Amino acid sequence: MSQWMTTFPGYAWLLSTVKKIFGNIIKTGPVPRHIGLIMDGNRRYARAHNIELKEGHNMGFESMASILEILYECGVEQATVYAFSIENFKRSSYEVKWLMDLAKQKFQQITQHGELCEQYGVQIRILGNTSLLQPDVLKLLRQAEDITKNNKRAILNVCFPYTSRDEMTTAIKGIVKKSTEVDDFIIDESTIDKFLYTKDAPPLDLLIRTSGTYRLSDFLLWQSVSSQCSIVVIETLWPQFNPYEMSKILINWSFNKYWYGNSNGYTVRGNPDNLRLSNDEDLEDDEPNAFTTSYNRNPIVEDEDSFDRDSDSDRVIDNENDTVPSEESSINIKTA
Amino acid sequence: MTTVKVNGHTWSTHSGKSKDKVVEAPVIHNEGKLEPPNKYRSLNVFTVFYMLINNFLRSIKILDKNQTITELILYYINHSILLMVFFIMSIYKNFLWIYRKIVLKSLNVTYYPNKSPHIIRDDVNKLNKIPKRLSCILNFKDEDDENGGIDGLIFDISELVAWSVSAGIAELNIYEYNGIINTYNGELNRYINKNLKNYFGTEYIPNITIKIPHVGQIMVNDASKPVDLTVNLLSAIDGKPTIVELTKTMSELAVNKELKIEDITIDLINEELIELVGNEPDLLIIFNPNLDLQDYPPWHIRLTEFYWEYDNKDVTYAVFIRALQNYAKSKVNVGK
Repeated sequence: MSQWMTTFPGYAWLLSTVKKIFGNIIKTGPVPRHIGLIMDGNRRYARAHNIELKEGHNMGFESMASILEILYECGVEQATVYAFSIENFKRSSYEVKWLMDLAKQKFQQITQHGELCEQYGVQIRILGNTSLLQPDVLKLLRQAEDITKNNKRAILNVCFPYTSRDEMTTAIKGIVKKSTEVDDFIIDESTIDKFLYTKDAPPLDLLIRTSGTYRLSDFLLWQSVSSQCSIVVIETLWPQFNPYEMSKILINWSFNKYWYGNSNGYTVRGNPDNLRLSNDEDLEDDEPNAFTTSYNRNPIVEDEDSFDRDSDSDRVIDNENDTVPSEESSINIKTA
Repeated sequence: MTTVKVNGHTWSTHSGKSKDKVVEAPVIHNEGKLEPPNKYRSLNVFTVFYMLINNFLRSIKILDKNQTITELILYYINHSILLMVFFIMSIYKNFLWIYRKIVLKSLNVTYYPNKSPHIIRDDVNKLNKIPKRLSCILNFKDEDDENGGIDGLIFDISELVAWSVSAGIAELNIYEYNGIINTYNGELNRYINKNLKNYFGTEYIPNITIKIPHVGQIMVNDASKPVDLTVNLLSAIDGKPTIVELTKTMSELAVNKELKIEDITIDLINEELIELVGNEPDLLIIFNPNLDLQDYPPWHIRLTEFYWEYDNKDVTYAVFIRALQNYAKSKVNVGK
């Protein structure tokens, strides 16, 4: 959106009204319950526009706020954002410090006046390996969680610091610990689901990655491999990602769900059970049915054929080759 | 004016769903459950609106106490707008489908390997890096489909093997959800070697090893020569179920005091899963009309690059080489 347009009076009001109307429309159809966001491209944006890295991250946060607004208007129950990866600790110490400061600052804002959270009733939850964080940051995060814990409308999961392999390992550890304590503890896929950080969230329906990178980068791997989850990659950098693009993704998701029953669109996967069945039938089938192996176009023709053969076999009864099928076909008629 | 019907027909042939179903009242409060494709989609525009009005009149009579009439009217107005948008989208998507099919066809003409390793080698030599480990998601298609059934799958795999050998890839993973190919590995091996003869001539046939990690089966063609390509046959069972099995084994060890919980780390699980399933691939080509991971092993796609072509359901050389070209352009920076 051009910068000058935002300066018009009433622009913000217009934008929020349009968001509300769009939300009301899309809510009447299928809506994803749980959305994952990989906010990639803040630094690339900063470099391309010759602004400071810190400023790029700041714009990314603003972009996140406006995207979340439209998601909650559309009735999305939970959004999970990839704020900080455990791998990000490898970045330069300046940047890690900047990111931590930014997080501290933003969470302080939330705890002090909490505009977004109060307006939308958003509850904040911190997912991830929080033991890696500095105590002062952790304290602020817990405060933010505490203050918003009574909000019921939607949940924002902030992955800080998070990697999916770490999550799976933590889950496995938790299960192993539990099984040493409880006898006959049943372990299956749903058990692992219950031990993941996202245990309270509905299954992931949509995962969005910005800046045209076709990788999951260790984010919600376990949750997103399911066929029910649709992964969308877009070329725009995160600070440029606007509600308009988000609404296009949402309506496309809704369309696929409505039209095909699957958020990914149509599938070409066949069912091999049919194959086994048809093979078995081939084996069991007697000679008269052998000519209709693959495609049973018209079953009535078959009967006519056997009648024909009957009459044929009556005529040339001494031909041994013909008598065998005629007997079988007569049996077939009796059983049919 | 039966455009919806026409649309519904063309699309339902892709998804393979029957369209003659009884129409039911719409679900007003969508709870995000997994639903079959909507039954409206194959109906005429006028029929849909007639039914909407009917439903509206019916729901006025059974109006809840906590629901006002204006809310109901608004809901129906919004829902009709959404259906109109879906209707327009379905037309647009049909055109998009035609466009993409044309692009794919012209790509298939442009990139044609002509059963010659030299052409593939020439295409690959232009790239600055190639994946060491390649993974492909294939579909078992119904036997009635073009290139479907077991024979189609075996043919596709043998072509992929020939291309990978020509491109100089060391490891090829074939993922097929049902794992149906595992029972036909003898035939697969025979056909792969036959196809390699077509490509490389009879003097030097590349040495292929086929592994089925889940069963622990290895098929070696010539143990005396170095292996040119290892083919791993994966299926859904190598994904989440294997991680569950690993968790079970670890819990048993922990109960018997043979494993300490603190010893379970990302590295340990990684090692175990590499042993059970294989290494993480560098590139994952999804021969599917959309990005659908179909329960691919979640641990193994941390930094894997995805590639797929929209509306493509065939295993063609054009998709293969474009995936390699795309991979050559990508840049991986873990966390940085």
